[in-house]
Parts: sequence; structure tokens; C-alpha cells
Amino acid sequence: MSVDPAAASNGAHPGGRSRSPRRTLNRLRAELPVTAMSATGTAAVRLRQLTGREIIDLASLQDAVAMGYHVAEVRRKHRGGDYQVDEFGFDRTWTEALIPLFRILYRRYWRVETTGMEVVPSHGPALLVSNHSGVLPLDGAMIEVAVFDETDRVPRALVASWFGGLPVLSWLLRRTGQTTGHPDDSVRLLRAGELVLVFPEGVRGTGKPFSERYRLRRFGRGGFAEVALRAGAPIIPISVVGAEEIYPMIADVQPLAKLIGMPYFPVTPTWPLLGPLGLIPLPSKWRIRFHPPVRTDQYGPDAADDPSLVMRISDEVRDTIQAGLVNELARRKGVFRG
Amino acid sequence: MVDTRRVLITGVSRFWGGQLVRRLEASREIERIVAVDTKAPTINLQRTDFVRADIRHSLIDKLLRALDIDTVVHAGLIVDPRRATARVVHETNVIGTMNLIAACSGADSPVRKLVVKSSTAIYGCEPDDPSFWSEAMTRKAPARDSFTRDLDEVEAYVHDFAVRKPAAVTTCLRFANVLGGAHSTPFSRFFDLPVVPTVLGFDPRLQFVHEEDAVSILEQAVTHDRPGVFNVAGSGIVLLSQVAALLGKRSAPILPFTGSSIALPIFNRATGTGFPPHLARLLQFGRVVDTARLQSQFGQLEWTTVGAVKEHARQRRLPAEVEEKPHMYESELEEFLRARRITSNGHGDEAPRRRSPRRPNPRSRARR
Repeated sequence: MSVDPAAASNGAHPGGRSRSPRRTLNRLRAELPVTAMSATGTAAVRLRQLTGREIIDLASLQDAVAMGYHVAEVRRKHRGGDYQVDEFGFDRTWTEALIPLFRILYRRYWRVETTGMEVVPSHGPALLVSNHSGVLPLDGAMIEVAVFDETDRVPRALVASWFGGLPVLSWLLRRTGQTTGHPDDSVRLLRAGELVLVFPEGVRGTGKPFSERYRLRRFGRGGFAEVALRAGAPIIPISVVGAEEIYPMIADVQPLAKLIGMPYFPVTPTWPLLGPLGLIPLPSKWRIRFHPPVRTDQYGPDAADDPSLVMRISDEVRDTIQAGLVNELARRKGVFRG
Repeated sequence: MVDTRRVLITGVSRFWGGQLVRRLEASREIERIVAVDTKAPTINLQRTDFVRADIRHSLIDKLLRALDIDTVVHAGLIVDPRRATARVVHETNVIGTMNLIAACSGADSPVRKLVVKSSTAIYGCEPDDPSFWSEAMTRKAPARDSFTRDLDEVEAYVHDFAVRKPAAVTTCLRFANVLGGAHSTPFSRFFDLPVVPTVLGFDPRLQFVHEEDAVSILEQAVTHDRPGVFNVAGSGIVLLSQVAALLGKRSAPILPFTGSSIALPIFNRATGTGFPPHLARLLQFGRVVDTARLQSQFGQLEWTTVGAVKEHARQRRLPAEVEEKPHMYESELEEFLRARRITSNGHGDEAPRRRSPRRPNPRSRARR
């Protein structure tokens, strides 16, 4: 019996298998995200027609889907180890994949209104100096989202060095661009032309009781001004309104804080009363105001050793931020409204 | 400029001294190389005189004067104490260094240059460390292990020497952990495990230096004048999870984040890694040194930190025989040629003696 080559090749022709159930299934699976998106879109339009209100927010949905793809992409890249983190441990692509999560908080939850963003330079160094509040340092994350969306730059925040001893946070903070508040770190970052975000109040700012909200604490010893002078970088003061109300701290259990090695142990109306539910921040209305920069390059790097100049700049920045807080509070319609 | 002609090297039986000797033997400028160690060298010495002895003051003192040694390289620190007991490590590292430097710092000592191989372990490893250690910084916390404590003493002796003999060139090289493939280090054995163990919730920043670079830096410190203290590490950093990924391995968070003094011996017993205590905290908090001074004085290294890890991964993917065979072959060939030369010259028993003609004491003085 002879084998007909034409018949054999005919059997293996791709056209012959195109209608097989497995092919169809694969095609449907590949088209699933598109189908789901269009179905949700139709549902959103129908719901809006029926109720007259926006039930499904398509923009947020798109953000979420985009984030899913971005995360998958980053994970695939990281699996081979072939990526670069900078010497501080910052991974830009990884951070960009995470930002949409915080953008939802920024836009939807706290409805942050940001003004004066045009003062942030699109390249070159600047020291962003902000008030600090809210028990957990979420104000830093919100400033970072604001700056990233405006300038496509990720500001590098300086965090308390004890974060380095905490599981998960120790690498998460570094991976997303944070570093310790060592003066050498900030000068190094500024000299490399980065945006550096500092909270001179430190834990004294985040750990203050609710009754003392929007009252600035001491600005350290003016170390931030020293750093800016040494690097010749401009200082951009920032006033953040709204973060004080996300976790209203009514008491601080110091003995417990000492026991677990934290600077404070907060008690809020919901924490630790409701357990993990108490970790949900309140949806206060936020306003962030960027103030015109304070230049430092005219003094030269040696001026960093002049304590009187350092304290003068420090006080000037502190006054600007305090005045900005008062101003923004006056503009806010209510703690949660606006 | 110190005219380096006669070099004495300690620790030749271990990787560092051995590799350095091999490099220096190739240099025509250096007319005499003397190697001192308690154990026989693992490499074949071509023209180096080997003295099997302990670093003791009287002996080294005599040796330095008799041979008019101008450069001393102290590469004999035990940084990977796998089989040595803590007491032996202390004796070798601290007392050995003390004797060596005492012999070098005499008023009429011929030594004009001292090169010491130290370690970045001297900076310690704490969660609230600065992000970058520069050479002038010192750690705030007391030493947590005997090795770091010993290192403090070693560098204090080196510093004393630099102060007492300002005319001499003193180079102190603080090496980061070495990878590369040929040399077995605690980290290379750690990364050879089927999965890379990590501490749950921690992903430290690490630095490595390729072994070739490390030897090149030592060589440059001998052949050129590079006074001062230097951090030696490949530029950039690598995350522990990234190392695992580059090696094509999974990481497993099996190490506890506290109580490593109990967990480490168990881990070492179970895996046979021999991971020393002074590196245990590195897996949790990491350490990064500033290499600006190194780069300005010594120039760029060939491998970055990530490059060194990639090269290490490449070497590890090769089957063991591919790397081993040429080395074996070479030594056999050498023996063969030597035997041939001896028979053709007819001075059968003189040739081996020529390798160390001025050996002060041929008997072993190894301390037991």
C-alpha cells in the first residue's frame, strides 16, 4: 500500500483543525478580557440610563485592568532577575505598577485637591518639605501620587530608620523609592538630581493627638535646610490638609509602644476596638498646597555650616507651611465634604 | 613611590594569597616573592619561596631583615571560618596580624609598604544603618560576633602602623563578599542550595565583588601606591531575591528574623553550608558600602555587583569537569616537564631545593 503525500499533508492542514472545540475555547479565553470590558461598559451605560447616576465608574475600572496587566508584566520581568534597582533599592517599574492602587485612594477616597503643582521642576533636584500627620504616613504616598501624575517623577521620601527593622516594610519602602533619613542619603539623592521628600517633624508629627491637629511640631534641628544648602537644591514647602483626620488619635499607649519597639501605639475610635476594621482610614477631604520654592543655591555649599542661616531657612519654611495649613483649612467646606 | 621589588605574602594556602602570588609571579618588576603560611599552598608556585611557618614575631622579623622585604601583603585573615575553631580564628587574625605588624614597624625595618586585606564586615549590620558606608564611618552598635570584634583589632593595628610609619604606604582594603565561581565562599555555598533561603519579610540590598576584581585590586595595591582605607565592592547593588532569580532558583522564607544564634548552627548542620555568624544578619538587613574612593584611586572594576552575580551564575551552570580539567592537566604537565628537566640536567635532587633556597627553617612550625 502506498502513502499518498498529498493526502497526508492535507490531513495536517491547519484549516482542518480550526473548528475543533479546543481552538474555540482558547480563542474565547483570549478574548475574555475584551468581552468582559465591553459587557461591563454596556452594563454601566444601561445602569446610568436606568438610575440616572454613575453606578459603575468606567475610568477606575480601566485603571484597575491596566494595573493588572502592568503587574503581570513586571512579575514576568522579575522572574528572570534581569532588572535593575538603583543603589538605594528603588525599582521604578515596580513602583509604577503599584501607583494605580494609591491613585484610587487619591482620586476617589480622599478626593485630593492639589494646587501649586507647577512649582515642582520637571528635572533637576528639589527638596519637598511637608507637614506630617495621620498616624500612618499615608500623606507621603499621596504627595508622591500628586507629583508622579504631574511630572512623571517619583519623589524619594526619607523615612525613619527603624522601618529597616520591620518585616515587609523594610523592603517595600526601599523598593518604592524611600530611604533612611540619614543626611548623606538626602545629599546623595539631591546631587543625583532627584526630588527628595522630607517630613522634618518626623514621628512627632504623625504621633500627635487629634486635639493638636494642624499645629506643626518642631522641625527637627533644621537638618533639611542644611541638606538643601549643601546640595544647592531649592526647598518646596508643602501643606497637607486632611491627613490629620484619617486616624483621629485619642490616646497613645506608650508602655505598649515601648514593648513592641514603636514610637507610639495609637488608640482611635475604631482601633484597636474593631480589630483590623480599625485600620480602615476615614474618608476625609484632602487638600495639598505646593508653595513657591525657597532658593538655596545663592549661598554656596559651605553655608550649610552656618547655624543661623540654617535656622532662618528652617523657620521660613515652617512658617510658610503653617500659614498654608490655615489657609487651606479655611477653604475646606468640611472635614468630609468638599 | 615605593619601589616594590621584594614582597612577603601571608595566607598563600588560601584562595587570596594563592591568586595574588600567581599574578605577582608574572610581573617582571618583582624580583622576589616570599610566601608564609602554616599550610602548603594549593597552587603550584613557580618562583615563589614558600616558608611553612606561623606568623611569629621573631621569625617574621628575621625574615624581613634577611631578605630586605620592602612590601608586606597580609592576605591571611580567615574570613570563612568553616573548619577552624573560634580560638584558632582569633589567634590567626588578631595575634598573627599583631606579630606581623610589630615586625614591620620596627625603626630599622626595611618594610615600606603594607597591604592588608580586611572586610566590610567591620561596619556591622543593623536595621538602622546608613544606606551607604563610607570609609570614614564607624558603626554605632558594639560588635555582635567574634569575627567583627577581631576585625576591629586588626584594623587598629593597621592604623597604628600608618601613624607610626607615616613614610610607609599603608593600604587597607575592605572587601565585600566575593563571588565568581572558582572560589568557595560562604555565599557561593549558600547560593548552591537548591532553594535560596531568605528571612520572611526581608529582602536585603547586597554587594558582591568578583574574585578576579578582588585579586586585581590586591595586585594594584602591591604594584602601585594606594595609601588609605578603601571599600572594595562591585558598583551598584543587588537584592537577595534578585540573586535567586538570576541563579534561576526559587527563594524560600525559612530563616527566622530573630534568634539567629540558635537557628544558624541548626541551619549549617542541616545544609552543610558553613554560613558564618557575621554574615547571618546580612541576609536580613543587608549592607552597602560607598565605593567612590575606590573608583577614583583604583579605577573601575571589571564587574558590577549584578555582573558578578551573573558571572557566578554562568560559572555554576557549567558542569564541574569543564572548569576542573584544565587546572589538573596543567599541574600534571608541569610535574612532567620538571621531571624531564631534572633528568636531562642530571641534577636530580637539586632542582626541588632551588624553589626555596633561603628557607630559614624547613620544618613545619604549624601550631597544633
